Amino acid sequence: MSERQTPPATEPILHAQNVDREYGSISVLEGVTLPIRADAVTALIGPNGSGKTTLLRVLAGLLEPTGGSVTYRGPDATRRIGYLPQQPAFRPGFTVRETLRFYGSLVGDDDEAPIEHLERVGLADAADRPVDALSGGMTRLVGIAQATIGDPPVVVLDEPASGLDPGMSTHVFEIATELAGTGTAVVLSSHDLELLERHAHEVAILDDGAIVDRGDPVDVRNRLELDSLRAVYEEAISGDTRTVRVQGVTT
Amino acid sequence: MSDSSPSTGSGRSRAPPTRRRLFEAVVVREVRTVVRARSLLLLAATLTAVVVGITWIGDGFTAGYLPSIVDLLTPLELLVPIVAIAFGYRAILGDQQRGELDVLETYPVSARELVLGVYAGRAIGLAVTIAVALAIAAIAIAVGGDDPVRVYASHSGADSPILFARFLVLTVLFGLAVLAVAVAISAVVSVTRSALGLSVVALVALLVGFDLAIVYGLAEGIVGDADLLYTLAASPLSAYRGLVLETTVIVASGTGPRVASPVASLVGLVIWTVASLAVAVWAVGR
Repeated sequence: MSERQTPPATEPILHAQNVDREYGSISVLEGVTLPIRADAVTALIGPNGSGKTTLLRVLAGLLEPTGGSVTYRGPDATRRIGYLPQQPAFRPGFTVRETLRFYGSLVGDDDEAPIEHLERVGLADAADRPVDALSGGMTRLVGIAQATIGDPPVVVLDEPASGLDPGMSTHVFEIATELAGTGTAVVLSSHDLELLERHAHEVAILDDGAIVDRGDPVDVRNRLELDSLRAVYEEAISGDTRTVRVQGVTT
Repeated sequence: MSDSSPSTGSGRSRAPPTRRRLFEAVVVREVRTVVRARSLLLLAATLTAVVVGITWIGDGFTAGYLPSIVDLLTPLELLVPIVAIAFGYRAILGDQQRGELDVLETYPVSARELVLGVYAGRAIGLAVTIAVALAIAAIAIAVGGDDPVRVYASHSGADSPILFARFLVLTVLFGLAVLAVAVAISAVVSVTRSALGLSVVALVALLVGFDLAIVYGLAEGIVGDADLLYTLAASPLSAYRGLVLETTVIVASGTGPRVASPVASLVGLVIWTVASLAVAVWAVGR
């Protein structure tokens, strides 16, 4: 299964309710409510600086919201949430296999598990390559493999296709769809709206720290009578899309 | 929250690792990091060369263990903190800068297991580095030693490899205390420049600052003569120096004034180690 098939609506496995996040006097997220379904790929889209990474970090439990809450309602797992940072990097001096074996040992995986994770992302041939000798795209693929170690019920991927060639970008979204097909809730951010339109089951448009629209991409598109997710994005985002709005500075 | 088995996705079944397994995994990663870090290996080789060189220049190979301890004590008071800081000042900072601390937070490893594992792994590397350097010097003394009576007559009856072994153990303990300070620094800061700056401050404080503070306290009457032996234990450097003098030189000579309280000095080193690691655990977990 590579393209999306909308699963039936279920109880959210992860639920952000009225989440605020402030850094000092700067408000980055305001009243964000986002239910994350299992069996689905939920995509966050929005301009640079709109709060996507902050929201993903809040969802992954890495940042405490300054207001509201994030509730996990999934199964009791050794690792509840897998996480791919926006710029993944690994300790130099180790091979890919050793790196994934270390992370696997933290969830009780056996020594063969890293290869399965690498095969999933198409990087099995690089198992014995030092992590500091990988290209940026390969490092991101290792990061995706890492994010799935321990089969967490929720996987949070911050721009998983960034820096990848078109073929690998498509493959990454296929992996996300396959994970959703096995019952994993996948939350990701991306600027590749065409791929998102094909693979995401749910899309949330974030603008200036708030969710301005949310739903099945087809439903959102039809509701706004627009012919593409890019048109939806441009319709939903306020202000000049050619200028990065810096929260707390740009009015 | 449901109680379903911790197995999803690939269907792989796994037993959640025990706390001990998690700790061991972090320790093994750190030991491999130390072994593979050329800069640390170079540092270890340099320390060995300096220790052997000082022993040789001071005629320690023929004079015996005790004269070598006396020769080595002051240089090691300077070198061991530098080596210990080098082993630890980026131990946790590196993971933080790469984003791996965030990733590790999504695994069932606590801040305490992580910090103690990192410390233990680096401590093994540092302990081996110090022990190998001093052991090589000890072997050279054992092989090349003349009759010690001719060179160090007043101590001849007591000179013994056991004294040198004590010196080795105490030097390792001193290094481990400073390493804990370095790990705390690496956990508190967020950029390399801050780590370097704070490391320099820590070195100055450890090598000069605390001793000066004690001298000032003594001169101003804040520290009384009767309290001096115990006050010295508050400084890792003074505690180390006092322990070495009390347990090797004074034991061998069998005479001389008390220069330290061994128990208080040991407690002082342990407190520095535990308190520094507590700071590191707090910093990682915040």
